[in-house]
Amino acid sequence: MDIFSNLAIGFGVAVTAQNLLYCFTGVFLGTLIGVLPGIAPVATVAMLLPLTFSLSPAASLIMLAGIYYGAQYGGSTTAILVNIPGESSAVVTTIDGHAMAKQGRAGPALGIAAISSFIAGCIATLVVALFSPPLAEIALKFQPADYFSLMVFGLVGAVVLARGSVRKAIAMVVLGLLLGLVGTDVNSGVIRFAFGLPALAEGISFAALAMGMFGVAEVIYNLEQHAADRKVVAVAKIGRVMPTLADLRQCLPSIARGTGLGALLGILPGGGALLSSFAAYTVEKKVASAPKNFGNGDIRGVAAPEAANNAGAQTSFIPMLTLGVPSNPTMALMIGALMIQGIQPGPQAMLQRPDLFWGIVASMWIGNLFLLLLNLPLVGLWVRLLAVPYRLLFPAILMFCCIGVYSINNNPFDLFQLVVFSALGYMLLKLGCEPAPLVLGLVLGPMMEEYLRRALLISLGDPTVLITSPLSAAFLIAALVLLVSIAVPAIRTQREVAMKE
Amino acid sequence: MRVVAGLLCASLAVFCSAQAQAQNYPTKPIRILVPYAPGGFVDVAARIISQKLQERLGQQVIVENRSGGNGFIGTTAGAKAAPDGYTLLTAHTGEFAVSPAVFKDIPFDLERDFETITLVSIAPMLVAVNVKSPIQSIPDLIAAAKAKPNTIGMGTPGTASINHLAGEWFADAAGVKFLHVPYKGGAPAGVAVAAGEVPMGIMAISSVLAQIQAGRVKPLAVTTAKRSPQFKDWPTLQEAGNLKDVDASIWTGLFAPKGTPKPILDKLHAEMVAILAMPDVREKFAQGGAETGGTSAADFVAMIRREAATYKAIVEKANIKPE
Repeated sequence: MDIFSNLAIGFGVAVTAQNLLYCFTGVFLGTLIGVLPGIAPVATVAMLLPLTFSLSPAASLIMLAGIYYGAQYGGSTTAILVNIPGESSAVVTTIDGHAMAKQGRAGPALGIAAISSFIAGCIATLVVALFSPPLAEIALKFQPADYFSLMVFGLVGAVVLARGSVRKAIAMVVLGLLLGLVGTDVNSGVIRFAFGLPALAEGISFAALAMGMFGVAEVIYNLEQHAADRKVVAVAKIGRVMPTLADLRQCLPSIARGTGLGALLGILPGGGALLSSFAAYTVEKKVASAPKNFGNGDIRGVAAPEAANNAGAQTSFIPMLTLGVPSNPTMALMIGALMIQGIQPGPQAMLQRPDLFWGIVASMWIGNLFLLLLNLPLVGLWVRLLAVPYRLLFPAILMFCCIGVYSINNNPFDLFQLVVFSALGYMLLKLGCEPAPLVLGLVLGPMMEEYLRRALLISLGDPTVLITSPLSAAFLIAALVLLVSIAVPAIRTQREVAMKE
Repeated sequence: MRVVAGLLCASLAVFCSAQAQAQNYPTKPIRILVPYAPGGFVDVAARIISQKLQERLGQQVIVENRSGGNGFIGTTAGAKAAPDGYTLLTAHTGEFAVSPAVFKDIPFDLERDFETITLVSIAPMLVAVNVKSPIQSIPDLIAAAKAKPNTIGMGTPGTASINHLAGEWFADAAGVKFLHVPYKGGAPAGVAVAAGEVPMGIMAISSVLAQIQAGRVKPLAVTTAKRSPQFKDWPTLQEAGNLKDVDASIWTGLFAPKGTPKPILDKLHAEMVAILAMPDVREKFAQGGAETGGTSAADFVAMIRREAATYKAIVEKANIKPE
């Protein structure tokens, strides 16, 4: 079979001393920037880009790819320890991951994040190796109407993310959608709700919002409490560092489901990878076996989304390598790196430069192994970080948040956004409203609008495209089913309350 | 008299120190601002030249992305930077030839705020169709749009992008109307044509080359008056559609803040001319269907002025109003 000879070529490229070194450098840097809250892989890749000019195309892509998926591993660390999601994909990890940390189970949470990322990464890389060309064809089958309906499904799923009140979760999703309206409308080019500020022309900064609402708001909340009642993990409560075998057994089905979902969604260039961790959490909350404790530190609530976002990170290389379409800014930068090297990424690159394509695939396996070996021993170190007195820890958190937010666009205005969203986040925390559904609304809203309006533009205003396309119809039905399954228990409890009165 | 002599001395001293500055220039790292996100068309051009400038000037040349607001943020930052030769700007057709025609309040002006160094690269755009579409030639396309005005989808990387204006120019010359379908950038628009979401697109060659090689997209014509030297068998719109005047290209250029000393500008111009003539640099731009520039500053400014006037007329005729 072809695949073996191809993989042989790939490992021939990846397992040279030089490329192993670049792979390790990549994943090491990736872990590091993933751990530092807010330092985005985009900024790192942009900074390292000039260094790659002197390397071979394979070596440079191996290193840049390593940074990208390494950051996915590292991103969960701050989400769990200090409730700061480094990237949109880590937002869900904060829900159960940080809850676990508060219970003194930060070690197992970090451990399971690394293990599930590793398993997912290995399987997803296999998917990339075996099915890239046919999967690229599937991605081309997705029309604007289908993307829109997929987003609707994702948004309904966002309500499930909520720990408490469904009504508050819906309010948060809607607030997120409204905030998502700020910026340039793709269809008409009109700049909306930007108050004449060019910095808002491309919308509200996701990093500023996420770091403000999760990280800084949490810091303020913690400082408000007396030192003694702070829910920050105390030294004595560090507990076990590694997850137990029972934890692992409980998580395996979740990891499998997360991997499958993540691998599938990662293929879609129009924002699929982004949905993967949200979708995995939603599914897990619905189908996981009892006893369920989601929202209050269920280890499966860490395993499934972590598996999904890493699987998605690997399979999102499929549209990039086979179609030349970047699924996120970091990938766009990698395409830029290839173009500077004189390689046009796309369907032909795979045939003309098999060493490059298969070399990267092979390096992903090696990189995932490096990451596991790197991250498991580090868990103990990270957990000990929590023993640092809070009066020293919180200025560091604030500083990294500021550096991170600034480094994305090099624009001081983003820091003002951080301040505003910190205040809003603190207010919402006090009101018992959770930020996760809001974030999903903010991210999905503009995409939904873009796809819906494009679908209607192309169909010349005929809304039936949403039902006549089989893919779109399937997603809409799934969304409806999910909505009913949320609504029914909510209605029932309400009636019970009414009866009591 | 004494005053005049003093002034002369003073201006001589200033002149000399400027000379000395230019002779030593650069003594510290140079920043090149890019008003777009990393990985895009303008960014790649900036990175190719920054690498060569760094080798030749013996100082670090850093590319700094200041994206956002249709390129306004980065370009404004360039206009406001200290005119000492240590902050430069790469911009493209959009900032200086298109935006003035489309937007009412632009925070910068080419001749008021910038010194022009040189044209870096220039490339045609491509009118391309999905291979499975019934439309397989420029006459087909014009006939289809004549039969059903405002229904033939034309994918572009955004409203009021240079591609959009090129498409409107084409439509106006042919006396037809297309249905404009904007995307969020060149790559998504290219994939939309490859997937058959829209039958036709106006794209940078680099955005669709991969899809053409894969046999999903068929090139029909280039938007410039002359054929591309890399792709000689693609006809021009003027040839394929018998359309007069259509000549739209997408270029990148290097600029400095107004008031940058002339000796520094001359040195940068000379370096750029040498760099843009290097075979490996030409080869890198050729990959994306672009030719390298190296024109004199005066010629470049004249070209931008000419284009700005043309695009203003097109914007008014096609009634493109994002505000």
